[in-house]
Amino acid sequence: MAASQAPVEVPVESPVRRERTVRDMGWNVVVWNDPITLMSYVVLVLRRLFGYDQETATKLMLQVHNEGRAVVAKQPREQAEISVTRLHAFGLQATLARG
Amino acid sequence: MRLDGDERAALLSIVETLRPRLGADARTTPRAYDEPELEEEYARLMRPEVEASRDADIELVRESLRAEGDRRELDDSQALCWARALNHLRLAAGGLLGIEEDGWEEVVDPALLETAEFSMLMALGWMQERIVQSLEG
Repeated sequence: MAASQAPVEVPVESPVRRERTVRDMGWNVVVWNDPITLMSYVVLVLRRLFGYDQETATKLMLQVHNEGRAVVAKQPREQAEISVTRLHAFGLQATLARG
Repeated sequence: MRLDGDERAALLSIVETLRPRLGADARTTPRAYDEPELEEEYARLMRPEVEASRDADIELVRESLRAEGDRRELDDSQALCWARALNHLRLAAGGLLGIEEDGWEEVVDPALLETAEFSMLMALGWMQERIVQSLEG
């Protein structure tokens, strides 16, 4: 008769935890227009902080300029907050909001 | 970057004039959240970091302007410090001038043209544009 094996515990993620994780991914980093900040500076900041190429950064900057705001990134909350902190350190008006 | 003695003195004067205005209004102390509780937490935990970064940038600019010699060699990090500092100072000048809408450069209120703050805003903008262009290669 073969020796019995101890049961192996298999971690099971609860549906509530999984839902929280999914929800946390959806925070929008929003840059708002300001009449003082140079457009070229906004492009520079978007490129340096988010790694966008010139075309993408310029498109986002123009959206900020023409529409008053643009979502420049979608990130988990903690990362989005860090992004907003960095944008503030560059002097940009920026907020984060649930996507 | 090349600045003669008069230019350095003028810029330093602009910095010293505008520096106290930082943090005085919403533009220079931007919010992160719409929700008051989250914003309060951000202000408590993260805003000091933003202000420390801003103060460090401005201090670098001040030290650079106080140093002797007309020529300044800025590496990428220092040039970014200058660009950030100039932006913060421009926001302060814009606040003093009450500029709230786009298009102010095209149709300038004659009363604004006469103010020292307007000259500061334009001078800082010219300098910031040059630094941004050099950073973008």
